[in-house]
Amino acid sequence: MTQIALSNLGKKFGSFTALAQMNLTIGDGEFVALLGPSGCGKSTTMNMIAGMVDPTEGDIRFDDRSILDVPMSRRGVGFVFQNYAIFTHMSVRENLAYGLRAQGVSASERNRRVNAMADLLQLTPMLDRRAAGLSVNILQRLAIGRSAVVEPAIFLLDEPLSNVDAAFRSVMRSELKALQRQFSQTLVYVTHDQLEAMTMADRIAVMDHGKLLQVGTPLEIYNNPQDVFVARFIGSPGMNILEGTIASSDEGKLVDLASAGRSAPLALSDRAASQGLPEKVLFGFRPEQVNPDPNGIMALPVNFVERIGARTILHLGGDGIEAKAVLDNQIAMPSIGDILRFSIDPKMVRLFDPVSGIAIGGDI
Amino acid sequence: MNGVSVKKADIAVLPQDNAGSEEKRLGFWLTLPAQCLVLFIAVFPILMQLYISMTDWSPLDGIPWYRAYELWIGFINYTDLASDSRFWAAMWRTFLVMIVCVPIQFLLGLGLAVLFVDEFPGKRWFYSTLLIPMMVVPAVAGYMFFLLFQSGGPVNDLLSLFSASPVKIAWLSDPSLALVAVMAADIWQWTPLMFLILLAGMISVPQDQQMAAVLLGASWGRRFFTIVLPRMKTIIIIALAIRTIEIFKIFDTLYIMTGGGPGVATETISVYIYKVTQQDLIWGYVAAIALAILIVLSVISAIAISKMSKGANAR
Repeated sequence: MTQIALSNLGKKFGSFTALAQMNLTIGDGEFVALLGPSGCGKSTTMNMIAGMVDPTEGDIRFDDRSILDVPMSRRGVGFVFQNYAIFTHMSVRENLAYGLRAQGVSASERNRRVNAMADLLQLTPMLDRRAAGLSVNILQRLAIGRSAVVEPAIFLLDEPLSNVDAAFRSVMRSELKALQRQFSQTLVYVTHDQLEAMTMADRIAVMDHGKLLQVGTPLEIYNNPQDVFVARFIGSPGMNILEGTIASSDEGKLVDLASAGRSAPLALSDRAASQGLPEKVLFGFRPEQVNPDPNGIMALPVNFVERIGARTILHLGGDGIEAKAVLDNQIAMPSIGDILRFSIDPKMVRLFDPVSGIAIGGDI
Repeated sequence: MNGVSVKKADIAVLPQDNAGSEEKRLGFWLTLPAQCLVLFIAVFPILMQLYISMTDWSPLDGIPWYRAYELWIGFINYTDLASDSRFWAAMWRTFLVMIVCVPIQFLLGLGLAVLFVDEFPGKRWFYSTLLIPMMVVPAVAGYMFFLLFQSGGPVNDLLSLFSASPVKIAWLSDPSLALVAVMAADIWQWTPLMFLILLAGMISVPQDQQMAAVLLGASWGRRFFTIVLPRMKTIIIIALAIRTIEIFKIFDTLYIMTGGGPGVATETISVYIYKVTQQDLIWGYVAAIALAILIVLSVISAIAISKMSKGANAR
């Protein structure tokens, strides 16, 4: 049970900056997912916490104690590798006992703890089997058990589900979340799969190109992305971002979206109103927020209709504009070439600065 | 009715029984020439040897080998072999070279592999240098060590540096030391091969498993003995088997250094066979010796292969 604090953490490989200015505090017993595309620096961050990679800048503290000088075998970090790194030449029992043996725990104590862990993870029936050839969910439990049995201060999981086929992932996700509740351990989880992050994590840290872009609960990240990258990355499909120009009307400010029409008058937060708006903005809305409306003031031609069962994704666009709409199948579906007229609830509109990509006014 | 018609369609798609055996038969005929050739290459010399070993045939008898049955003596060559003290002494010497050289080569090779598995400055240069002995023609290596171990040679000069009086050891003409010199040459020449094989094996030990062991608190030694070495088991068996079998065949280096002498002090099994073949010309007897060695080597290989397949199953 440990709090992890990363301050100004950075890593350069030669002239390449893998991570810069990472500031993140992970609370005691919290489940935090580091989410981002490959090459965003999430694994580098994780490896630095574990001690496999030394940072070139900044500090890592466990409970206010810097651990940069602590070698990785003493950090008390439970690490679950992408392919679990099970010692397949040993039995399940030998795998579970490995850490205890390395730390010189007495045989009777070792047996007691291994048996208790096997019991907890339902590994007892296969304790004396060789670890080679076990199924992937058992390997996952074994990998977690092997780390958990030495009672590490924190758990680090490096994309543990990326080798699992899609059908099995949801089973593994719920199992993993249940295990984390049982151990109530601080847990950092690296993934590029937003579904894993959204469903399991208490908080998500979205990263891109070695930068931490936003930290928040899954719903905060989904509803109020602080950055245009986060907006596009989270959600499937991600948020629509259209270029627009601020215009004024009798009812207040609105956004002129060129060939897509114009938005309803904006419901600006006090902060955005006081901040003032730039002339050009990026106009963001979730595909799920598209309301087909024959009197809607926005309109885009339908390019492609993608049916995915309960819902249908419409690919809209033209004149350099691209957007998607997710509609329930209940409504009459337009066909390719039709013009879809729609409206967006002003409360659901998010504006971003076209230069910096940062959300304007924060929460609207 | 619908269901029935679907079934019929399925049956039509399935390969028919006799079509399968037809294919097998065709395959048999197509591969027959190659199989005969392989059989001929591998089995013929052994059968010929077996045949000759049952006779008292020698090329000086004036009859071709296939008529050697005229000199049929049955198992006499084998019973002679069993009581041939020179043969058993040569066997014992070969075995001695093996149990001294193979472990030393293995430990040196393993130690070097441990050093070379991590990066260090100048690694490539050291690596290439280390492999040079392996590429030296064994006969040349034999000549090099012949010169090194002369009583006025560099080995004695080196030893003289550490002793008060000049060292004048007659390495190659002292029956108790000649074998040591031969072993030194073999270790020099073949440790690099051991190193190369073991390094390849060590590099292929999964990095994440080693990391996992360290993260669980394992020391270097624990990681090495519980993860690295067990995972190298197959490659270690291969390396040991190759060197064991090769040492059984040790000949050229040794022959140039000592010629099997002084006396028979360094006469290993290959040298003994050579002498019996070229000097005594009793080829029936040679065939019997060769078959006996073949059997010994086959047993060694069989043990190695069975250990290896066990190791592979454990993965």
